Amino acid sequence: MRLDSIALRLIAASMAWTVIVLPLAGYLIYQLYRADVQESFDSQLEKLVTAITIDSMVDGADRPAAPPNRYEPLFEFTHSGWYWQIRPIDNQGGPTLRSASLATATLTSPYQLDYPPDPDTNMRWRNDAGPDGKPVRIVEVVDTLGHLENRPRYSIVVAGPSEWLEQSVARFRTRLALALAVAGLALLALMVFQVRFGLAPLQRVERALALIRSGEASRLEGDVPAEIEPLRDELNALIQSNEDIIERARTQVGNLAHGLKTPLAVITNEARNARGPLGNKVIEQAQIMNDQVQHYLERARMAARVGAVGRVTSVLDVVQPLVRALERIHAEKEVVISVDCPPDVRFQGEKQDLEEMLGNLLDNACKWSEGKVRFEVELETPATRTGRRRIKITVEDDGPGLSAEQRARIGKRGLRLDETKPGSGLGLSIVIDLAQSYRGSLKLDRSPIGGLQATLQLPAA
Amino acid sequence: MRILVVEDDTDLNRQLVGALSDAGYAVDSAMDGEEAYYLGDTEPYDLVVLDIGLPKMDGISILEQWRRSDKKFPVIILTARDRWSDKVQGIDAGADDYLAKPFHMEELLARARAQLRRATGHAKSEIQCGPVRLDTNSARVTCDGEPIKLTSHEFRLLAYLMHHRGRVVSRTELVEHLYDQDFDRDSNTIEVFIGRLRKKIAADIIETVRGLGYRISAEDNAS
Repeated sequence: MRLDSIALRLIAASMAWTVIVLPLAGYLIYQLYRADVQESFDSQLEKLVTAITIDSMVDGADRPAAPPNRYEPLFEFTHSGWYWQIRPIDNQGGPTLRSASLATATLTSPYQLDYPPDPDTNMRWRNDAGPDGKPVRIVEVVDTLGHLENRPRYSIVVAGPSEWLEQSVARFRTRLALALAVAGLALLALMVFQVRFGLAPLQRVERALALIRSGEASRLEGDVPAEIEPLRDELNALIQSNEDIIERARTQVGNLAHGLKTPLAVITNEARNARGPLGNKVIEQAQIMNDQVQHYLERARMAARVGAVGRVTSVLDVVQPLVRALERIHAEKEVVISVDCPPDVRFQGEKQDLEEMLGNLLDNACKWSEGKVRFEVELETPATRTGRRRIKITVEDDGPGLSAEQRARIGKRGLRLDETKPGSGLGLSIVIDLAQSYRGSLKLDRSPIGGLQATLQLPAA
Repeated sequence: MRILVVEDDTDLNRQLVGALSDAGYAVDSAMDGEEAYYLGDTEPYDLVVLDIGLPKMDGISILEQWRRSDKKFPVIILTARDRWSDKVQGIDAGADDYLAKPFHMEELLARARAQLRRATGHAKSEIQCGPVRLDTNSARVTCDGEPIKLTSHEFRLLAYLMHHRGRVVSRTELVEHLYDQDFDRDSNTIEVFIGRLRKKIAADIIETVRGLGYRISAEDNAS
């Protein structure tokens, strides 16, 4: 997946808020739970201290008595974590009373440490260590334990094991973290699914574009999501306008051709009738003009093609009408063109260009042949796995052929090896230009059936 | 042999008519599509030289309509549009050959000769009837190797009969094929020219078929 892909952006964004929100939510839940557990623990301690305070008051007595243990069995076990203690503050009012669990130890009074009382309940709270060193939570009530005036004040203290509290909260924290981690992973999986599902139409668009690129489709067809519709319409309009531009360029080029060629024909014929040095000069110059017109028309056609969306052309579909036409044009020689072309071979390029290349090669072959022309098409397997497949087209005739030196010269523009055969002499150089514009090539060789063998290599689709 | 030239460019039309007339053909010319279609539809031409880009009616449509109404004369298409798709379209519409502008007049004449020979079933450029030999390329006639000097009217008549050797050719057909549309057809010139030809050619190869017309025997060594 690429770094700047939409899918990655969506997943990264979702992950970011998951990473922020989930721990934050976890922290909040943890804090709420902790406060809740603390509160219920504190309220238990509160009830105990209130009960012990009330139970320690004996009617008529001038000092408190040890309350009966009706509340918490663990007050009886030494160092159980649960303790109570009633202790006079002002050095009068009798001995200190303790729960059995405290043995002889004394709990430090928050009052003596100047802890401020809770304004609502008038109780003081403190976390401390018990006689066994384990953490305890202490609540203290300072009271005179009775209704009489001038009675001494007592500190009534109840302590509970806050270690249990911490353990409970820690256990909850672990479970919460686990649950949230699982939820996070599930969310992540859902996000990936959601992104894929959401972006599926884009992948369809991508495939449709590939079809256009390979030439199997000319428009972006099919249903697209509302967001992509403008894009599709714009793209189709662009393809259309592209085609229009090419078509216009072609038409104008054709008009230019028509416009120039008829006057050229007239000039040439007139000059031929005139003879003499002037006539010869005019013929020569008109020929040059014609070659130039021809050459730049071809260039213009090629330029009009650049930027066109890829086209695919069946070789057989192009060659069959050509063969039909050429056999008719060369009917006098009774030329027979044998075609060996698999029907599924397709050329990656414009139909007109393939027509020009094959038409010129076949026409040349027909002109020179003694009646036999061979046309063969092969699909070459690429040398490397990533290499593009190529079409190898061979056109051979049984005519006189060319010498190696003539074959070497033939690529030069406008060169005619035999002035007696009709033709502008541009045939092969146009084929070479066109083939090169498709990164193809034209090779000339001696044919096993006698004449010239032209081998054209072009990209396959 | 009678040829129709269809070309909307005045100069090129004049040049074509001139060159073909000089080569010994009877030539009619048309400057637009409708006129061309009408002429081709009504007159028995032996060959049509047809430009594609024409006012009123384009060459391809004209050609297709001719072929639909079973006109069999050979047609050479003449056009500046020299893409192979244009050529294929022209041939598929019923043309027999295709010549891209600008062209050499010699090339047009060569192709015209080739089409005329082909239309009458002669593969070679020379036609031999007994001792008489007609070279269509050089427009020369020899009898037993001796050159015979003929006027253009005499040559046209002999060439037409030799192209259609072995078949009786009526006087009307000869008039229609040897002279352009402006020629005065009521005259008795055909008989006059046959008489002159018989005098110039030692061998008696032209046979009169009473009430039907004339014939040159198809046998090469007929005497």
